[in-house]
Amino acid sequence: MEIKSDYSTTGNLRKTLLMMIPMLLLTFLFISGGKPDFSNKVNVFAFLLTFLFFNWLFFMILFTGKTNRYRKTGFIVLALFFSFTFILNLIQMRGSMTFSDNNLLSCEIPFCHIVSTMVIIPAVVTKTIIFPGRINEGFASISSMLVIITGISVAVGRGFCSWGCFYGGWDDGCSGILAKPLIKKVNPVFKWMPFAVLLIVALSAAVTLSPTYCMWLCPFKTITEYQKVTNLEVLFQTIIFLILFAGLVLVLPILTKKRIQCATFCPMGALLSFTNKVNIFGLGIDKDKCNNCLNCTKVCPTFSITAKDVEKGKSDFTCTKCGKCIDACSKKAIHYHIKGTPVNKNHSLNRILFLMPSFTLLLIFTGRPLLNGIELIIKLITTGSLI
Amino acid sequence: MGYYDGILLGLSTGSVCLAYCGPVLIPYMLGENNTISRNYLDVSLFLAGRLAAYIAIGFITGVLGKFLLQPSPLSSMITGISYIVLSLLLILYGFYQFKEVCLGRSKSRMDSASGKNKTILVPLTGGILTGLNICPPFVLAIAKAAALHNITKSTVFFILFFAGTSVFFIPLPFLGFFKRQQVLRTIGKFAAILSGVVYLYKGIMITFN
Repeated sequence: MEIKSDYSTTGNLRKTLLMMIPMLLLTFLFISGGKPDFSNKVNVFAFLLTFLFFNWLFFMILFTGKTNRYRKTGFIVLALFFSFTFILNLIQMRGSMTFSDNNLLSCEIPFCHIVSTMVIIPAVVTKTIIFPGRINEGFASISSMLVIITGISVAVGRGFCSWGCFYGGWDDGCSGILAKPLIKKVNPVFKWMPFAVLLIVALSAAVTLSPTYCMWLCPFKTITEYQKVTNLEVLFQTIIFLILFAGLVLVLPILTKKRIQCATFCPMGALLSFTNKVNIFGLGIDKDKCNNCLNCTKVCPTFSITAKDVEKGKSDFTCTKCGKCIDACSKKAIHYHIKGTPVNKNHSLNRILFLMPSFTLLLIFTGRPLLNGIELIIKLITTGSLI
Repeated sequence: MGYYDGILLGLSTGSVCLAYCGPVLIPYMLGENNTISRNYLDVSLFLAGRLAAYIAIGFITGVLGKFLLQPSPLSSMITGISYIVLSLLLILYGFYQFKEVCLGRSKSRMDSASGKNKTILVPLTGGILTGLNICPPFVLAIAKAAALHNITKSTVFFILFFAGTSVFFIPLPFLGFFKRQQVLRTIGKFAAILSGVVYLYKGIMITFN
């Protein structure tokens, strides 16, 4: 059934403002956490700045019709402010970014979404949670993160990798530094590497009953927390994660203009790709409009559109729904699409229906870190100290 | 070194087994145009053949390990070095398109050429022959089993290695994955490289500790 109403907000101020109403309410709710703290000027200023920032982003996405440009801004802010506030939080609690054996034994390690790839099999088979974190209390508990990830998978599938992941903004940001790539050809076969990483870490974690990816491979320990170097093995692990961070998250994304860590290494991305299969949102290509220029295949940061996919009229199941190909398509042939509906109809409605949950996701993960980060920066300026 | 290692090695390299040696059974099943239940029977016979081959190899390896490789500093060094060599082989295997010795493949070709693939012997012998396939994961399994220095343990290790690799054959009768067979091969190669790196580290640790 075709819905006759025109939901297009591009260039239409009245419709854009109308569509903004739910987001204004959601921004207020998620930034304040339901309990707005206006006890002092700093809090009010930080709240207003965060509130305006998100609503400006959403307004621009709707009004200009450009998705990726403004999503990316919010996504980079998420990555930077998450790391900034996380590290400061650790320094306040522990005095440094490192954790000790005591922290491990007392289960004080925050649970990140990537660990989900390793805890499921041991939890089912041995009824053991192999990660040294809190089950259902405190900061970033295991149960809350698993529930959030499951909900996100249902809502936006692998869209999480471009709208909610608090690490993805690092290589997304680095991939946009150069105007043109210095390494022009990257073999797209590497997009299957995360599935191999997923296979190996899930199995090795199940057999050794330890989070092997966190111990050996996670590049993001560089900007979160890492084990105190007390022996040769930990030193070796530290060298590995520093090299991986420098290579996969900083240098290669800059040189290739691709999200190398997300596209070729992250096991969570591989796991979420499967959720794309059941998620209702995808990217559809209107073959009547497409002139086969294949610009979309060149700009896709995760190798998720190939010439074959263009022929099929949809992106591959590894798509992170960032919207870069949509912005880049000169013929406006690529659209957010609800599976099972015609590709050439209801573009604007489908876009709005996708943007609402995905932008809310960005808001949920970015809101508090940005608010806290702004408060800390004001504190630094006014008192000269962050702690 | 525990029995778990057998399952781990099997599970981590099973996709390679499926991607490279699965085609022994697949053309046969496609050619026969069987029902899913019949396909399951064929897969079961195929796996039974592989199990027989693995038990035999596990027994022989155990005998060799017991009488020729008694625990000593020298034997642990030999094990470590063999891990290193075989891990490098596994990594190379991932990077390059090896023309491996896969006897079952030629058997399958022979059968389809002559049209003699009507009996249960085809998947059974296919299973035995692919079970003897000399590929790096298989050689690595031999090295690990030999290091157990015990005939029973070595045989059990190979049975578990078989169980690990066999998991990947369960969806085979549905045949829907053929569209992505090349992808599966690619993932298998990457997984082989990663497994190789893990075993390389283990090998270095055993050798120099």
